[in-house]
This record gives sequence, structure tokens and C-alpha cells, in this order.
Amino acid sequence: MNFDDTPDEAAYRGRVRRYLDEHRGELGRHGDRTRRGGDTGPARAAQACLYDGGLVGVTWPEQAGGQGGTAMQQAIVDQELSRAGIPMLLGIIGIGMCGPTVIAHGSQNQRDRYLTRLLRGDDIWCQLFSEPASGSDLAGLRMRAVRNDDGTWRLSGQKVWTTLAHVADYGIVLTRTDTEVAKHRGLTMFVVDMKAPGVTVRPLRQMSGGAEFNEVFFDDVLVPDSERLGDVNDGWRVALTTLMSERMSLGGGGTEVGMGVGAVLEHVAHRIVDLPEDRQALVRQDFGRAYVASLGIRYTGYRRLSAVSKGTLPGPEASAGKLAGTKAARATADLAVRLLGDEAVYARSADGSSAWQDAQASLPGMAIAGGTDEILRNILGERVLGLPPEPRADKGVTFSQSLASSSTGGAA
Amino acid sequence: MNFDLSDEQRALADAARDFFAASTSPADSRRALDDGTPVAPGRQALAETGFAAITVPESSGGGGGSVLDLAVVAEQAGRVLAGPSLVTSARAAVLLAGDDAHLAALADGTAGYAVLDGTSPVLDAATADRFLALRGDDLVCGAGTVTVGAPIDPTRGVGDVALGEVTVLATDARLRWERAERVGQVVLAAEGLGGAARAVELGVAYAKERQAFGRAIGSYQAVKHALVDAYVGVEQLRSLVWWAAWAADEAPDELPMAAAAAKALSAQVFEQAAETLIQVHGGIGFTWEHDAHLFWRRAKVDRLLLGDDVAAFDTVARLALTLPAAPGAPAAAAAHEAAR
Repeated sequence: MNFDDTPDEAAYRGRVRRYLDEHRGELGRHGDRTRRGGDTGPARAAQACLYDGGLVGVTWPEQAGGQGGTAMQQAIVDQELSRAGIPMLLGIIGIGMCGPTVIAHGSQNQRDRYLTRLLRGDDIWCQLFSEPASGSDLAGLRMRAVRNDDGTWRLSGQKVWTTLAHVADYGIVLTRTDTEVAKHRGLTMFVVDMKAPGVTVRPLRQMSGGAEFNEVFFDDVLVPDSERLGDVNDGWRVALTTLMSERMSLGGGGTEVGMGVGAVLEHVAHRIVDLPEDRQALVRQDFGRAYVASLGIRYTGYRRLSAVSKGTLPGPEASAGKLAGTKAARATADLAVRLLGDEAVYARSADGSSAWQDAQASLPGMAIAGGTDEILRNILGERVLGLPPEPRADKGVTFSQSLASSSTGGAA
Repeated sequence: MNFDLSDEQRALADAARDFFAASTSPADSRRALDDGTPVAPGRQALAETGFAAITVPESSGGGGGSVLDLAVVAEQAGRVLAGPSLVTSARAAVLLAGDDAHLAALADGTAGYAVLDGTSPVLDAATADRFLALRGDDLVCGAGTVTVGAPIDPTRGVGDVALGEVTVLATDARLRWERAERVGQVVLAAEGLGGAARAVELGVAYAKERQAFGRAIGSYQAVKHALVDAYVGVEQLRSLVWWAAWAADEAPDELPMAAAAAKALSAQVFEQAAETLIQVHGGIGFTWEHDAHLFWRRAKVDRLLLGDDVAAFDTVARLALTLPAAPGAPAAAAAHEAAR
């Protein structure tokens, strides 16, 4: 047992660190890129700079524009980017989810046209899965794709909670192509041009006040058959590739959710000394619990990284990392805001800062995005602990039958 | 990075699991409550297998192993609520370092040691005949009079000890004392890990089998999610137990933080797992005949041993924030380096 890099890993880390040092000025700072309406040019340039250094698409095959590297190397890159305070890449959805789906299910032509541009940040991608009527129950989605006589497809319907749709050039979109089979069996995936006629993107304002995600309307959007990903009605299998990739990018190596315990530590250390003794004792209890939780998450991440470095792919147990991380981050942000004292009732402190208030108001979203806490618990309960699944009312019926029964009977 | 057990440690865990499964079970804990049957496997058997002296150097008759080796074994002991605790022998091994006669007695089981913490109830006092204590900065050893109260958990052998005449084994022993206490916390957390992991397994097995409203209760999210939360806690705890044991062996600067964190999380996770075990079982889980309450009893007592969970969380916070140690708490050997 040890926490050290192997000689190969250390050499790789050294190269990554040198590259980041040499190019630090081109790579941006935390908080640079999320402002809506801002120019995405600098963020795209930062991603291109990292790509040129071989730090984007580390595990992707070389034919796909990647480095053909190991998952451990990717983990090292993630650690070093975080250590250097470099903001999350603009193309993160494409790199983490859309790209792997194109690699696995796209045609050679699609791979050639899309992947290198995606990695370089020339094109930004989004993932169009959730709909107003189907979130956790993704396979119940309604957006239609109908084939025209000339073989092209016509897409109509609505997607929602689509991160980055407002700046995206392309998206992968999951549609319903057959309503007369079970819900999982009638889905088909496409690559869609987000600038195509009939695509309308509207921002959604979040409870935190920010607007990083969107609703997207498709009104008879034409998509060539060559942009289909995988077979007709095989879209569920294609979507599972995307969701697996998402879990690997979110479950990761114990990277921190929210503000990070280091920032909280500094904040608590600064504030605790001015509190009366009884309050100090309470804050130490709360902070002690938060800190122990962060250690548990960090060292569990190291266990996963060790498995990765031996070549094991993360399984469903990686969902535990997001579950625990979200819980700890929420408790931590609450503690941090409480420590602001009377100022904690305001969205912004007298000195103009709002970092803790913003974190507190954004973290409820972490318990929903990328698999709600409840869905993650189902995955862990069923796939890791082997507990039986909950019975499903729409099992053994076609999609159209389940729609009919849910609109006529059901929730009285 | 290789944060994982070695093949040898996995083999050791298997051997320990076989031994503990063959020599005791939670039913022994119930018998001890019913009629005072001594806890199993008992001091002599733990000495004969060598588990009691894993961390004693080979030259003194022990196994020459690491704290991590011991933690691996302690997890297995915890699964079946074995007694006496490996915490006691682990602490004694640290305190008696360099004293071949005492270490040999510890290793072959001819003496039963227990360790006093001020006036707190003493772990494994009921089966001990030699007591180690800190007086000023002196490590002392002697016989004592044990008063055993009515135990919540009978496997811990807790009692009050009035020390008789003592001899000084070492002067200037405070640092050694603090290390022993921290190693004890690590081993206690490892036993808690085993108990908690076993409680989750038992709960999961029952939830798969028990039917209500026409289906297995484990299919209901209310039951499933409670078990998952306990499972997630167990895996976080496993990480901290391994880290803390590794720190005891390899990184003394990290031990104060790691030991307190493992102790604190173990208290939290074991309690949650044991309470979930009872709840998932419903009425049967509340009966004397079922094992669930025996895990619950162990969890309710363990959280208070070697300093309670509140003190451990406080220690973590003070170390992280570099505040002075609480009165009576071991001083930090070195501030924890938060960022690895």
C-alpha cells in the first residue's frame, strides 16, 4: 500500500505540470467561463491549448484524435488541472459523453468529421436526453423522429435541462422512432446540428440565479440518415454508452463537489475565532463531520484510482462517490453560509462576495443532475447489493399503451 | 498509487474469517448476556492463533506484522462480535515495546492486559489481570480490582478498575502512550467496520427474502435506500480504516488526524448500520432471539470507547484548523497536511 506515483506516473505528471506551467496564461481562471452571453472564444482557445499539449481526450484512441493513454493518466491530468485552478473545459459534455458515444456507435465518416474538432474545442457539443415528461425515466421520452420518403429524418418535440445548448454546435439527441414496441425498444439516437433550421434554444433560469442550462425545441428539424448513431430502434443501447461515460466522468477519482473542503477550512479558520466559546464548540462538531466526510470521499477516490491504475473499469459502485460527495458538499456549504452570521440572510455579503451563498443555492442541483440521489441509490441497491428492482407499471406493454393508460387511468 | 490490500493481506483476512467464524458468533454475545458465559474466542485462543500479537516483533515472540495487518484481522473479528478486543492487545503491544518479558506474556497469553484511561470504564477489564496506566509521564503496570457493571454490550468486558500496587515500566512515556491510544482507535474502527459491514449484509439478505404486499421488501425504495446509505458509509469507513492503519505504520505525522477520523466515522457508520439492520427486520429485529440487537449493543458501546465520537470529531476539527488540542486530548504530533 502506498500513495505514490509509479515512476511512469511520476514522469507523466511531471510533463503535465510543466505544460500547465508554461501555458498558464492561456488557460483561464475559475469562474471565467460560465457567464451567459459571454464570448466563448477564450474558453475554446484554452481547450485548444490543452489539446495541443495532449491533455484532452487522454484515453481516446489515436484514430479518434486522442492520446491512446490510460485511465490513470486521465486521472493525473484531472488532478493537475484542479491543482492549477484551471476551469472546467467548455467542451466537457462533448468530451465526457457525446464523443465516447460517437466513437462507439458512429460511422467512420462521423468520427473523422467530428472528433478532433470536438477535442480541440472547435465545436461544442450538448446532450439532448431529458424531456419535460421524462427525466429519471429516460426511456419514456416522447420526442419523435419520423423518416421521410427520401430517407432523411424529421425531428419534432422538446428537450430540457440541456447544459451548454446555448453555445453548442452539435448535440446527440435521443428520439422515439417506434411507439408500438416496449419503451426501450423504439428509440434512435442522432447527431443534430444545433444551428439547423427549426432548432430553438431558450435559457432556463436556475434557482441559484444562473442560467447554464436550457430548453430546446425541435420543429420539423431535418436530419440526414448519415447522422444516425447506431441502428434504428437501438438507441437505448447507444444511450447506455453515454450514461456509462457520464458515470465515469462524474464518479471519477474522488474529485470534490462544490467549493472543496480546503476553501471551507480557510473560511472556518477565519471566522471561528470571533465566536463565543459555545458556538465554537458547535462549529467544531459540524466542521469535524464535514471534514471526516471529505476524507472518506477522498480516500475512497484513491481506492478507485488504484483499481483504475490496475486496469479495472469503474463499475456501478462509482455512483457512491457522487452520492456521498453531494451530501458532504451540501452540509459544508450550509455550515459556511451559517458562519457568515447576520450577513447569512443576504445573497451577497457586505464585502461584495457571494461565493458561499451561490454554492449553497447551486448544490440542490447536484442531487438531481447526472442521476438523482434516488436513482443512484436504486443503481447501488440493485446492481451492487443485488436487491430486487421495484415493479414497473409500464412493463410488458408498448409505449403507446403505457401513454394511454397513464392519461386515462392512473393518478386520480 | 496502490491504495489496496496486498495478496498476503487478503489471504490473512480469509484465514482470520475462517478462524473467527469457527470459534464464535453473535449468539455467544447473547449467551454472555443471558448467563455470563465468557466471551469467545477468548484471550488464550487469540494468543494461540497469533492474532493478539501480530504487531509484536518476532524477536519478542510476536508476528512482526503491521498495524494494517492487524486491522485486516480486526475487521474479521468485528463481523462476529469476537472478544476480547484486539484493541487491547494492540495498545499493550505499543506500550510494552522493548520489554521482552511483558511482550512474551502478551504473545503467549500467560498475562491478560488491559489499559486504563483516567477514570473511564476499561475495555476488557473483565478478563484482565494486569493493568497498564499513565501516571504523570510514567507508564505503570500492576494488578487491580475490577468492578464490572451491567453491560449493554457483554463482549467488551468493560469495568471500573482500582489499581493496586504498580511498578514503573517506563518514564517519559507520554508520546508512546498517545501512539498506543491512536493505534487502539484504528483497531477499534476496524472492528467497527467489520460489524457494520456484517450488519449491512444481514439486512440485505433479509430484504431479499422477506415478502410484504406481494414482493420482497428490498424492492421498496424506502428499504433499499436505507440499506444503500448504510453500505455507502461502510465503504467510506473502509477507506479511512486502511488509511489510518497505513499511517500508523508508514506516516506518523498523519496518524493523529487519520486515527481520529476513522474512530469518528466508525462510530457514526456502525450505529447507522446496526439501526438499519433492526428497522429492516421489523418486529423480529426487535426480539432478544435475533442477532440484530447484539450488533446494536456493540455499536452503542463502541462509539464511547477510547474517547467518544464527539471528542473525535472535535479532534479532527482542531487538527484541521490548527487550533490547540482540547484539555486532556492527546496533542497533535504534527499538524495534518490537508492537501496530499
